[in-house]
Amino acid sequence: MITLTICLMACIIFLSRYGFLEPRLPITLNASTLRFLSYSAPAVLTAIWAPIVFVSEERLNIHWSNHYLLCAAFATVLAVTTRNTLLTTILSMVLFFGLRFWQM
Amino acid sequence: MSMSCDPSASQRWLKGALAALPLSIAVIPWGILAGSLALDAGLNPFESQAMSAVVFAGAAQLVAVGMIKAGVGLGSILITTLLITSRHFLYSMAMRPNISPLPFKWRVTLGFLLTDELFAIIAGGKKPKETSQTLDRWYALGVGLSFYLVWNIATLAGILVGSHIPDLDSWGLDFAIAATFIAIVTPQINQPSILICVLVSLVASVVCELFQIPSGLLIASLLGMTVGTLYAKATGETQ
Repeated sequence: MITLTICLMACIIFLSRYGFLEPRLPITLNASTLRFLSYSAPAVLTAIWAPIVFVSEERLNIHWSNHYLLCAAFATVLAVTTRNTLLTTILSMVLFFGLRFWQM
Repeated sequence: MSMSCDPSASQRWLKGALAALPLSIAVIPWGILAGSLALDAGLNPFESQAMSAVVFAGAAQLVAVGMIKAGVGLGSILITTLLITSRHFLYSMAMRPNISPLPFKWRVTLGFLLTDELFAIIAGGKKPKETSQTLDRWYALGVGLSFYLVWNIATLAGILVGSHIPDLDSWGLDFAIAATFIAIVTPQINQPSILICVLVSLVASVVCELFQIPSGLLIASLLGMTVGTLYAKATGETQ
């Protein structure tokens, strides 16, 4: 039963990931669909990071004592000024874990 | 996929693995959790590892394992899996112009590896008009495969330590995800419509999280994409 569950889950997830990559699938994405999809990366990524930063313990936390928020703001400033993804990620993580360490 | 045909292939692979590194580190606690929770739910070690090796979907795995433990039926588990995984339809549609012209082996491999993380890095870095010609397949493989390996090694660690999991949740490793995604998204905001899209997704995802709305991620993303597109149409913005 568990083997069956694993196999069926794997099928569903693979099909959701591979489905539209199959060239024989008879769909052509027109210009307006492609335009719509061009917003998918910023939209999905923001929808993943925003709750991590703004919500702590199921409550809205907009206060500078929220290290997630403080360091996310720092990361945004770094990203705008340096335009360097890896540098932004590393420096803001250093600040975040530095603050955590400092408070322990 | 002959490994030796291109001398720089391994360098591009490594570059991809390096780009994925912060996300790979952030996923370690979840991998450990996936392994130990699967064991806890009554899966044997082989099945617990197979979950990560074959299914390879963090959120869906954790939820399914919880449902198996609670004795929920197969039908409900599969419907929940479909809901959680539905955002991947969006990813594969967005990557269709880049990946569908590739040879079968590459399509299937990159399709199997198309997680949030792989999509974030390869879609986050591409320009609007790019095609298969400009997608670096080795770089993409480096991102996807290194992430897959870390996920599976972390799962194995979770199976080995079993129930002796330290309180990894309190380490704040999820900030690594936020930091990486902010670093990817921010430079992409070069038009008013993208800023609108990001702001709408931001507010909507936080509201969905606060009200614990299921599939909030998908709802917030589609809302942001729709408002961004409508704004661009209304103002006649060109790409």
